[in-house]
Amino acid sequence: MIEFQNVSFSYGEGKPVVEHLSFSIQEGETVGLIGANGAGKSTIMKLLLGLLSGSGDILVDGLPVSKQNLPAIRKKVGFVLQDSDNQMFMPTVYEDMIFGPRNYGLSREETEKRVDSVLQTLGLTELKHRYNHKISGGEKRMAAIATILAMEPAIILMDEPSTALDPVNRRTVINTIRSLPQTKLIASHDLDMILDTCQRVILLSHGAIAADGDAEVILRDKALLEANRMELPFCLQGWHR
Amino acid sequence: MDRLSQAQSELREMDALAAMDSPVHRIHPMCKLYVTILYIVTVVSFPKYNFSGLLVMVIFPVLLFQAAGISVKLCFYKLRIVLPLVCAVGLANPFLDHTPVLRMGGLVLTGGVLSMVTLMMKGVFSLMASFLLISTTSIDSLCAALRKLHLPGILTTLLLLTYRYIGVMIQEVAVMTQAYRLRAPGQKGIHISAWGSFLGQLLLRSADRAEELYSSMRLRGFQGDFHYADVPACRVSSLLFAVGATILILAARYLNIAGLLGSLVMR
Amino acid sequence: MHMADALLAPAVAATMYAATAVTVGASVKTLKKDENAEKLPMMAVTSALVFAGQMINYTIPGTGSSGHLCGGMLLSAILGPQAGFLSMVVILAIQALFFADGGLLALGANCWNMAFYGCFAGYYLIWKPILHSRLFAAASEKTAGRRKILLASVLGCVLTLQLGAFSVVLETSLSGITELPFGPFVSVMQPIHLAIGLVEGLITSAVLLFLYETRPELIMDVSSEHSPVQGKHSLKSTLIVLTVVVAVVGGGLSLLASSNPDGLEWSMFGNTDAGYSENMGLDEEHYGTSSNAAEAAASIQDKTAFLPDYAFADSDSAVGTTVSGLVGSAMVAAAAALVCLAGGFFRKKKNGAKNKVL
Repeated sequence: MIEFQNVSFSYGEGKPVVEHLSFSIQEGETVGLIGANGAGKSTIMKLLLGLLSGSGDILVDGLPVSKQNLPAIRKKVGFVLQDSDNQMFMPTVYEDMIFGPRNYGLSREETEKRVDSVLQTLGLTELKHRYNHKISGGEKRMAAIATILAMEPAIILMDEPSTALDPVNRRTVINTIRSLPQTKLIASHDLDMILDTCQRVILLSHGAIAADGDAEVILRDKALLEANRMELPFCLQGWHR
Repeated sequence: MDRLSQAQSELREMDALAAMDSPVHRIHPMCKLYVTILYIVTVVSFPKYNFSGLLVMVIFPVLLFQAAGISVKLCFYKLRIVLPLVCAVGLANPFLDHTPVLRMGGLVLTGGVLSMVTLMMKGVFSLMASFLLISTTSIDSLCAALRKLHLPGILTTLLLLTYRYIGVMIQEVAVMTQAYRLRAPGQKGIHISAWGSFLGQLLLRSADRAEELYSSMRLRGFQGDFHYADVPACRVSSLLFAVGATILILAARYLNIAGLLGSLVMR
Repeated sequence: MHMADALLAPAVAATMYAATAVTVGASVKTLKKDENAEKLPMMAVTSALVFAGQMINYTIPGTGSSGHLCGGMLLSAILGPQAGFLSMVVILAIQALFFADGGLLALGANCWNMAFYGCFAGYYLIWKPILHSRLFAAASEKTAGRRKILLASVLGCVLTLQLGAFSVVLETSLSGITELPFGPFVSVMQPIHLAIGLVEGLITSAVLLFLYETRPELIMDVSSEHSPVQGKHSLKSTLIVLTVVVAVVGGGLSLLASSNPDGLEWSMFGNTDAGYSENMGLDEEHYGTSSNAAEAAASIQDKTAFLPDYAFADSDSAVGTTVSGLVGSAMVAAAAALVCLAGGFFRKKKNGAKNKVL
């Protein structure tokens, strides 16, 4: 579904942020992308979405990420931004949800149906006509996810979906992620959330893959995590004390 | 800074008012916009000595405030901004215009005093009207009406986008102001050494935010078009309101209603 | 210097609306559609920031008072004149709608006085010529850039505020609302706005200089400074700047020096109602000064032996304030008060405690 082949990228003349990166993600997988600040998590997502372009090949569902394929790729890949305020720029939740589908040429009726069914699934029907500047942080995060789901993407990318939420809202987001059938790539420092949602984890270090494998294995490897400026997930820390 | 939280709560209050429901809220935004402008133009066009004619105009906003279920008192708070200006201008009139317009025994009412009073009334009335408009109409339905009037799409979109981010930005400025004040007790404002960096830092952050915002648009297939919710069609009742209001406002402008009322009683 | 609805005659307000509409149309046309789409987020976010930033108090050293930012010059230096103008229009519209700062009718005039001058006059007459000029060529590139930004911001803000203040006086005069004569009023307004413009210019330059050090690509006309084409125009642009500066300073000084403003007043406006003008255009923060200005203007007026009764000698007939009119007015006022009371009473009954908030 997603394939990176020997991808490198650097800003200007600077040191490469991502170097000789290769990995692939199969359909239906949920993959956690972890690593210290500046390890290259966001860059990978931006490369995948064609917001940045580097060297090497990136394939999404068999399509190479290139200028002429961008509309097709962006229709397939939904990106949930870290700051929901930047994602929800329309006046109401409803108008934000129709933004993507309408831009991709979906009819009004069809869009309407999608919006209602997404809101229904996520249990957010009462948010539909609320103003984006008046809903709470937790509601905003869920609405941002709904906005992306309304585009019916095959792949969902999420940047720190659980940060700045209270425990209950965080749990709601985690349950939502678990219930989504799509292929997912989630970048986060919240390792407990990653452990809860992902089967597989890619650990990045200085733009290269330090480990790639079963989440249960990598997230329990104290030495590996600490070598890469990370810690064991809190729920696992008790065993070692 | 107090002004920031003040602005924030004012915006919140206006939003809450516009979200209420009443016959006035349900009038089509285009009709309300039209009537508001007609009203303000009419008020402003009254001759400066026509006190009794102008006074009749107060009836319109007062009635509509009641129909909308909003207290007239609310808008008087906003007068603090308009009134000083108008007063500053009006206060000169009594000194410069001594034309006697009314003698009652030994008392002489001069034209200057009268024109000062009517000027202030004009200020108050037009404020009441625009407050009524915006407290019974949400900004997005107002923009939809403006789009229907063929205002350039970019302007209405910019208005909505800016309105969307004002809350976010006020928050950012407020947080930064607090952080500044906590480390600079006793300072009334921003010291000259931080004049540039204070707003500059925020501008840098805004540039990043704008970039991310634009990415988020492009990722959802943005090609320059925005799609908004439909505005309900203009119903007959709204049209009737517009026509009726036009007739009544013009009647109040050109008929001496106060005079007629008075002579009825005096007969 | 927000104008209020009450201070404008409908014809003047409509004219200013038309002027603003034409400028908006031209700006929208100049910004091509794709460029628009790209700039839109930046325009929205910066205008929201400038809106919030206008509420920041900047302490003016040594005075104990504080200055504020209006933002026209800043926006056009970051977004360019067209996009800056549209952003300013939006800011002013939101202020008029939600904060009663200005008014619906006065919006056109406010856009003209603050957005048009701030963005177009400031940019094309000052900012662009100065930044493309060879001024300070002796200094290093970075220092020259800094000095040019400082000079352009201060000159730009002073010029645009002078133009704005003058327009405010002109518009209110043409509206014939008050008895204040044009001449003394202008001679009070312009120097006040000279001071306000200087402070705003310094704030603007401080912000732009910060950007110049951190992310110069955010500022207009900075990166293209050294392209060869600009060199040719440097003399011309320097001359333009000099002419504008001389005109503004000269105009301001001559108005200041003019001890007999009546000549100007009467020659410009004849002897109609429009021959009167008044003091406007002072920010609400400067309300104290503005009433001083009005009084000063009034006292100057007395000294110049102006006959106050002259203008309205024949206006008694137009008064229409008869006894029956007064009685009727009292009835209207009583009715309005009753409606308010009744409405308040019913609302309280209906909503109980909830209504307290409203």
